[in-house]
Amino acid sequence: MKRRNLMGTAALLALAPLAVMAQDTTLTWGKPAEITGFDVHVAGTVASWEMYQMVYETLLTTDADLGLAAGLAESWEQTSPTTYTLTLREGAKFSNGRAVTPDDVIGSLERIKNPETASYWSPQLGDIASMEADGERGIKVELASPQATFLPALAHITAAILPMQELKDGSFDPAAQMLGSGPFMVESHKQDESWTLARNPHYWREGYPLADMLEVPIIPDESARIAALRDGRIDFTSFENPDAQGMLANAGNIKVEAQQTTNYYRFDVNALDEASPFHYKRVRQAMNLALDRDAINDFVFGGTTAPDYPVPGAFGKEACRDLDTYAMPRDQRLEKARGLLEEAGNTSPEVALTLSSANPVLGRIGQVVQQSLGEAGFDVSLDQVPTAEYLQKVFTDGDFDFSASWLAGYTDPGMVIKWWNPEFAVWNGVFQENVPELSQALDDVGAMQDGAERDAKLTEICRMIDDGANLLALVGKSDYLAYRDDQVDVVLAERSGSANTYQFIAEFEPK
Amino acid sequence: MRLFLYLLPRLAAMIVTLLGVSILVFLSLRMIPGGYADILLGPFVTPAAREAISQRYGLDQPMALQYLRWLGALLQGDFGVSMVTRQPVIDEFIRRAPVTLELALIALGLALSVGLPLGVWSGIRQGGRRGVDMARLVGALGASVPDFVLGSVLIFVFSVWSLWFRVGGYVPFGQDPVGNLQTMLLPALTLSLFGIALVLRTTRDAVLRVMTEGYITAAVARGERPRDIVRLHILRNAAIPVVTVVTTYFGFLLGGAVVVEVLFSVPGFGLYIFNGLLNRDYAIVQAGVLLAATAFVAINMLADFLYAVIDPRVGASE
Repeated sequence: MKRRNLMGTAALLALAPLAVMAQDTTLTWGKPAEITGFDVHVAGTVASWEMYQMVYETLLTTDADLGLAAGLAESWEQTSPTTYTLTLREGAKFSNGRAVTPDDVIGSLERIKNPETASYWSPQLGDIASMEADGERGIKVELASPQATFLPALAHITAAILPMQELKDGSFDPAAQMLGSGPFMVESHKQDESWTLARNPHYWREGYPLADMLEVPIIPDESARIAALRDGRIDFTSFENPDAQGMLANAGNIKVEAQQTTNYYRFDVNALDEASPFHYKRVRQAMNLALDRDAINDFVFGGTTAPDYPVPGAFGKEACRDLDTYAMPRDQRLEKARGLLEEAGNTSPEVALTLSSANPVLGRIGQVVQQSLGEAGFDVSLDQVPTAEYLQKVFTDGDFDFSASWLAGYTDPGMVIKWWNPEFAVWNGVFQENVPELSQALDDVGAMQDGAERDAKLTEICRMIDDGANLLALVGKSDYLAYRDDQVDVVLAERSGSANTYQFIAEFEPK
Repeated sequence: MRLFLYLLPRLAAMIVTLLGVSILVFLSLRMIPGGYADILLGPFVTPAAREAISQRYGLDQPMALQYLRWLGALLQGDFGVSMVTRQPVIDEFIRRAPVTLELALIALGLALSVGLPLGVWSGIRQGGRRGVDMARLVGALGASVPDFVLGSVLIFVFSVWSLWFRVGGYVPFGQDPVGNLQTMLLPALTLSLFGIALVLRTTRDAVLRVMTEGYITAAVARGERPRDIVRLHILRNAAIPVVTVVTTYFGFLLGGAVVVEVLFSVPGFGLYIFNGLLNRDYAIVQAGVLLAATAFVAINMLADFLYAVIDPRVGASE
């Protein structure tokens, strides 16, 4: 496995032609789940994003420090607080051979912003006042108000660039097909069974991808994926479950890498349901204090991750770290939590933790939390339900006490933190309190460039978030990538920002 | 003519049954919490996005209208389109049919080849006390061990020690016959355990019942050879209940052995319907349940037909 420091990207690109392989080579990726839809601008699930990343590209991407790096756009410039100019890479083509044009970029961003598309990424792009082509490869974007996270938002796969000409003339249906400028193109698809992807012959990185074909069997069962790795049927796969490391520890040719991400497990706490004990802020605060994030890390993740913060720890920011929730010794936190429950007049609140059955890790987190909250007086029951039911209960009906899930941290602290403003996020409007001061501070930070002033603002925001205890960060979410080192050389980023574990799939080399 | 008159009311009952199934599956799918918009957009579903998705897939129409449109299309052979892939679901069912059929046939073959001889053997008590006890044990185990337990144990064992078998996935027989058997035998074995118990117990009970009949005593008194008594009198007369359970079991297998297909990632009907249900992909589940129900009632019709062939008294009164 090669750990990829993107500082060397330019050198790699220069050497790319040397890497062209003469023989036919195939990679086999054991994918844990099928996509939930073909439309890259719409689907909000990691299972879909992972496949889109093989076929589509974004204007920008990220480097090892989660800073912005060139994608389809080879350069970009912010000429005023609201004006951006991006220049498309020369030679960038869709897999049908047509060059990517500024019209494709403008059309794609307009499509995301169009309410009829129902793209959840629309708010992250901010209020785009106008877009126009600037020459053959330039695009000028004017925002209605400053939005510091506009560029990082372009680096998420949901902001992929589609072939708008084909979409408009009806030869490409984004809800049923995939046609992008990424390293691979779809050759065949058997729903819930497998994908066959072939090298995009028009990919702008000459000599890449290193594999000619990418076979993708869908193998949801973890044991079946382990068996497929052991007998060499697949070259690489990923696991949610950290136990994979232990289970594969003695398998000679199999390596397991834990990749740090900006994502973290979280609790959504229902502050708006009057029937829930968490309607009362003191009870929410007590729960937040009583949580034992270290125990979650130790017992669920075997110490492979760490307690995480609303501003993800992977960004290296100090914001949130000195809050009592994190800095105070646990026995003192428990004492304080009990005091808060007494103040609330409810020393043993009965609460239900709603969990999706799709992710086995969530159930384990639930069991640890059940015990740690019990030490403060909470009586926690676990309610594990199918995914669709969980989504409706939590995000549509608001019919729950608290629930476990995880949050994508993306590539800039200013992006994930915005979700604490329910007017911006909308998806948490049924359980998240709208705190005007917090929303204002989030609006302010959204317009700030990275630096000391923004860091101070983030610290202020952390205090308000902690006070509301309405949406809680638990522990970092690592991605566990397992691969056969006798069959493939993989390239991983040190850290990943948008569930982009296979960011360097073009550089995966079959042996 | 006798057969036609015998089968006609059953055919009418089959049509009414399928109509009832279509209404039930259509309504129940829409009554369970969560919809495709939730799955597609994840937590990001907003009222506006939900409405946009509903409009896109025609889910904003009155439910009765949605049902009638679906039924109308169904009568013209249009089973609908998957919301995930926008492809006709019938194409996917046709593609998966050989997988489920193969799994069902192997499981049925195992169930019959083990269950029938053991059932006859223990029924006529030729294996002695120990043999009968063993048959009982197999029957009890098969009936009481759920397929997800046996399947999970097999997956664990064979994912650690391959022992020739492959866990998960599917290789078409035409592409690699050995690879096909390597992947299909474990799920078939998991499925067949219940079938073995079912066939064994039914056969044993039927044989025991027939053994007490007067014509068996008469055959013994006539000095017929035991082999002939078993073949000509016992097996033929014990066949009807066995045919009933075997056809019912085969119908169940054809309907998609959901748990086993999901556990072993076998891309048959069951896995497709299961994922369709998780994704709230209505067209898949509606078509899948209806096809399974059709297979089930058709096989029951076949059983009725076989009764009439095996025993001329059946249907004579009709």
